[in-house]
Amino acid sequence: MDRMGNIMGGRLLASIIPVMFGIVGAFVDNVPISIMGPWIPSPLFSLMPLYYWCLVRPDLMTPAWAFLIGATEDILSGGPPGVWAASFVATYAIIDRQRDAFAGLSGLGAMLGFATAALVACGTAYIIMLIHQWSLLPLTPVLGTFAMTVLFYALAAIVLGAVHHRLVGPMRSDF
Amino acid sequence: MARARGGAHLPLIIVAAVALALILIGKAQSSLFDRARAHVMDWMEPALQASRVPVDSATRWVGSIGEIFAVYHENLRLKEENARLRQWHNTAIVLDDRVKRYQLLLHAVPDPALTSVVARVIGRASHPFLQTMILDAGKAGGVKPGQAVVDARGMIGRIFLTGERTSWVILLTDLNSRIPVTIAPENAQAIMAGDNSPTPAIETLSQGRQLKPGDQVVSSGDGDILPAGLPIGTIVAVGGGYRVALYADQSTTQDVQILDFKQPPETPPKPSPNDLPVTAAGLPPAAPPPAPTVNAPAQSVAPLLKPVVKPVSSPKLPATNPAPTDSGTNGDVPEDNNQ
Repeated sequence: MDRMGNIMGGRLLASIIPVMFGIVGAFVDNVPISIMGPWIPSPLFSLMPLYYWCLVRPDLMTPAWAFLIGATEDILSGGPPGVWAASFVATYAIIDRQRDAFAGLSGLGAMLGFATAALVACGTAYIIMLIHQWSLLPLTPVLGTFAMTVLFYALAAIVLGAVHHRLVGPMRSDF
Repeated sequence: MARARGGAHLPLIIVAAVALALILIGKAQSSLFDRARAHVMDWMEPALQASRVPVDSATRWVGSIGEIFAVYHENLRLKEENARLRQWHNTAIVLDDRVKRYQLLLHAVPDPALTSVVARVIGRASHPFLQTMILDAGKAGGVKPGQAVVDARGMIGRIFLTGERTSWVILLTDLNSRIPVTIAPENAQAIMAGDNSPTPAIETLSQGRQLKPGDQVVSSGDGDILPAGLPIGTIVAVGGGYRVALYADQSTTQDVQILDFKQPPETPPKPSPNDLPVTAAGLPPAAPPPAPTVNAPAQSVAPLLKPVVKPVSSPKLPATNPAPTDSGTNGDVPEDNNQ
């Protein structure tokens, strides 16, 4: 009985770790402290867990979680509500459809796979903002965010991989 | 696998619809999200204050690495600039004194007094669609949305969201920033628009005006939102167009002033009969109308004549001339409630 309780608790914890990482990523992304200066945008840390667990364990990263992470990003970033929520859901849809192609990538290919997802997220957000503001917006800040996000994913993937293999994987295992 | 995807697609569509609905609701009711942001930032304020010290030190350290190699030249340049600024400082004092004397001679209306709150920058954020600064003063310190934020060098931005102890500044460089400005020396009126680049663009320049690099940009005060004459920057030529190089450096500034320009509207005292133009001109005031002979019209006009009839009761105002019975004219005369 105790073992069953531990298993259930572990499963629950494992199922919320991915979304918690996404929300923490949104907080880190939006902590208004920049050691890189005001002209270098913050990376989209919240997109990284979304991409990683959407590929590795899609049952732990559902569309609703993607929406929640995006909505957190929206509230914290100070921008118009719904922009990142919609763009994260759109990105999730792309990853979900092309999971087989993305999951087979490794090394530099994996980076390119994430770059595609980041491009979809930034591009969708840009288009939504374009419609929202109804004026031509400069591309440089979005491209900066995209570049920083891809650059930081190399480090984040190592951390996310370690968390998955040491925490999420064993907790989801019944044995 | 196919089944799993099919199962995931239905919620995906629903979630996508919710996301779109959120955008529309946010467009219509942004205050809900603004309140949530303000609460989150108030909650995070102690953590931001604590984390600010080491991060600022790290930022200064990182920023100074590149400057080490240019210290000598920078020192020479600063000495030269300092000498030049001292000359300008003396000139400014003399001119300021002269302007005050002219104002005194001309009985000019003095500039409105500005109150201000000094605040510290506890955070900066640079996002693709938003550039903000967070200050450690909020509603508790009298900070309100719309107030101008300046540092010792010039204007930085405006308050756009206030929490209880924190407030968010929309920077002049932000995509959503639009400021009415005056460009000296020709006093050209223009709108300065941020586009997330370090130098905001000049938009909607008044017709026939030509800009030159080095022209001074100050706030125009149009719309009574910002005080007039706040220094903002100078015009620089960038890629065939003109932009504004800001005086204030938003990346290094630590202490700022939040200017409260909105003065409470002044309520003028109610005019007395002696304030009427006729009385003020030294002429005898209008006499009350003759007693109405027809009952029905008199009843309808009587309330309108009331303001004119009242001054007659004053001993200073003899009733000699008949008053016009035009209701439109009499209706414009305010009633003196003090009598």
